[in-house]
Amino acid sequence: MKDNKSSMAGRRNFLQSGMFGAAGVGLAVSASSSVVMAENDKATIKREVTNEVDVLVVGGGTAGVIAAIQAGRAGAKTLLVERNFQLGGATTTGGVAFPGLFDAWGKQVIAGIGWELVKESVELDGGKFPNFAKVPRSHWMNQVHVNQFVYALLAEEKCREAEVEVAYYEFPEAVVKTDAGWQVDCIGFGTRRQVKCKQIIDCTGGAEVVGLLGFERLREEERQPGSYLFQLGGSHNPASKQLHRLYVHGADSTNSRTATLANLTGRKSILAKVRKDKKRLMHLQPETGFRESYRIKGETLITVQDYTSGKLFDDAVSYAFYPVDLHTKTGVRPKPLKKGIVPSIPLGALVPKGSRNLLVAGRCVSSDRLANSGLRVQASCMGMGQAAAVAAILAAQGNTTPSAVPLAEIHGLLKKHGAIIPGKA
Amino acid sequence: MAGSGVWAFAQPFSIQVIGLHALTGFIFIAVIGLHIANNFVPLRKYLKNRVVWLVAVLTGCLGALFYLQPSPIKAILGLSGNLGPALERFEMTEKGMKYDYVPSPSYKLSLDIRTGSSYSLENPPRLAVWLENQSFFHIKTLYASESEDTQEILPYWAFKVKGWEQAKEEAEKKGVDLNETVDAVSGATENGSFDPADYILPRETNSSMPYRVMIEINQPGDPTEKLKDQPSLVYQVEVDNYDPRTFQLLELVGYPVKEKNEEGEEEWAIYYVDERFDSAMSLVDSALLRIDRSQK
Repeated sequence: MKDNKSSMAGRRNFLQSGMFGAAGVGLAVSASSSVVMAENDKATIKREVTNEVDVLVVGGGTAGVIAAIQAGRAGAKTLLVERNFQLGGATTTGGVAFPGLFDAWGKQVIAGIGWELVKESVELDGGKFPNFAKVPRSHWMNQVHVNQFVYALLAEEKCREAEVEVAYYEFPEAVVKTDAGWQVDCIGFGTRRQVKCKQIIDCTGGAEVVGLLGFERLREEERQPGSYLFQLGGSHNPASKQLHRLYVHGADSTNSRTATLANLTGRKSILAKVRKDKKRLMHLQPETGFRESYRIKGETLITVQDYTSGKLFDDAVSYAFYPVDLHTKTGVRPKPLKKGIVPSIPLGALVPKGSRNLLVAGRCVSSDRLANSGLRVQASCMGMGQAAAVAAILAAQGNTTPSAVPLAEIHGLLKKHGAIIPGKA
Repeated sequence: MAGSGVWAFAQPFSIQVIGLHALTGFIFIAVIGLHIANNFVPLRKYLKNRVVWLVAVLTGCLGALFYLQPSPIKAILGLSGNLGPALERFEMTEKGMKYDYVPSPSYKLSLDIRTGSSYSLENPPRLAVWLENQSFFHIKTLYASESEDTQEILPYWAFKVKGWEQAKEEAEKKGVDLNETVDAVSGATENGSFDPADYILPRETNSSMPYRVMIEINQPGDPTEKLKDQPSLVYQVEVDNYDPRTFQLLELVGYPVKEKNEEGEEEWAIYYVDERFDSAMSLVDSALLRIDRSQK
């Protein structure tokens, strides 16, 4: 577990104000009257880096951020590897800055670190929360609108406070099983990182680590369209005004080539729209928001029947709540859940079948396609992220695999960190 | 005229029969006009006969009775395949309320509301049943209690009706179709249609066109320990001919609360029912919607 003194060194690669005393190469940035300097030292320009951690979280998106913060807060030495340049994933880089749903039928069903982050984002931004006591005319009315920029900054702050080391622009290229757990080789520009860890939480959306290890993944013939968000004419007013949305059919985050194609296609269409509408382009998200690529085949597979009947799994670790929401070429017609139904997520759906010391969290959760269309949303992914982290750190502490951790211990630690336990709310 | 009238009585609603009946009616009026013109002098003599006046008064009374439809007349009309001139029938029994609406032989809608333990036949609650389009606009009231205070006791329904009337007024002022106005306001697509026929008599069912059947019920003067008077309760079910189901239960949605929206306008929103409610929850035991659809 974490040695606080040693863990502090080398894990502050964030931009921090007032760091003028830092030695070595520094990057001075000026914005208005403020000046900040990134803390660097000679070690940061070395190409080869090694880490030995308890938990490696791959993917700093919706689920990954929460998983990393939870792992760090519970005392695990944690590294978070993110291929992009900021945390938050769909909420920030994708621009889907209205996470939901945290409530069902007048009650909050997902809380914990995800809700804490969302709540603080709204409060810091002076925003408004939906009234969960009020029956929404449509499910989306209870999504919480956050300022994506504030959310990204707070996510970094919470990682920093939890002593999570963040590695941007990196992704794993090889994973090898070791006696103690895993050796993961990550690559970024100018960086080769070798990570030794006890547990991996794959929060890549498409279960990329699971794929590298050769465990079975599920994939449909056709992907749901992605959404490219932008603002044409009128200013971008975060957290209060919805961005314009362009469906990118065939958008697929399976690999760099498919993601590139989706982004090029989306941006080309937006440029054509700018020319056609003769309006100013006021905002453009950095990339397409992807809905679907791979899902894992886990120890448990959540079927649409499980989802729509609100099956309470024996090993349930989190709730989920959203209509069955399959986007197609002709649009989407959400199928709301029947009154009183609140689906649950079992730990088994986060464990790739036949694996040890490996978990997933997020939209790659083991589920059939229709169940996944409801499970993939942000609040549910946040709940999964926190639950996966708790299972992983308890496994790391007990030198066992997450499936072998007694459920009561998982529930106990989750509750301690503010999560809502299915069946016990 | 007589033949088409009897046919319209026996045969469930059909636009052909009604059209034919209307045509014969106009022809009949024209013939009467010609008859009066040709026989004006002898007809004036008839008016001096008391029997003629007696027959005229009797005809007027029968006309008024069939227009106002008190219970016995309703029963006679109920024998008709058309369920009376309005194509709808509402019945109250000890077990509950039954509402039938048959806008077409191929679309028979029946709402069976079973009364719960706190329902009083002596002092029945106010009730409204209406249809809403997917943009949450009232499109047709199927039934509303005939009471002076119904609008006050059923505020959510009254609010919805008011919104609909305002929208109609605005459309009239602008000289545009109501659907166009709503599209501009709500961004609604085809689901914003205000024509009930688009839902209950769909021309085609190849695309989703959902609508809602809503109920608001309220027993005035029913306090609980935590409420001076329990508010009305709203039930709803969504119907989509694209995904046809014969039986659907209406579900309790919540209770209406008056509040101001972001634009500062007063509106009624629905809130989840909480532990403060008791007897209001047992006014309705169940509300079952049955729709029999058949091909013409």
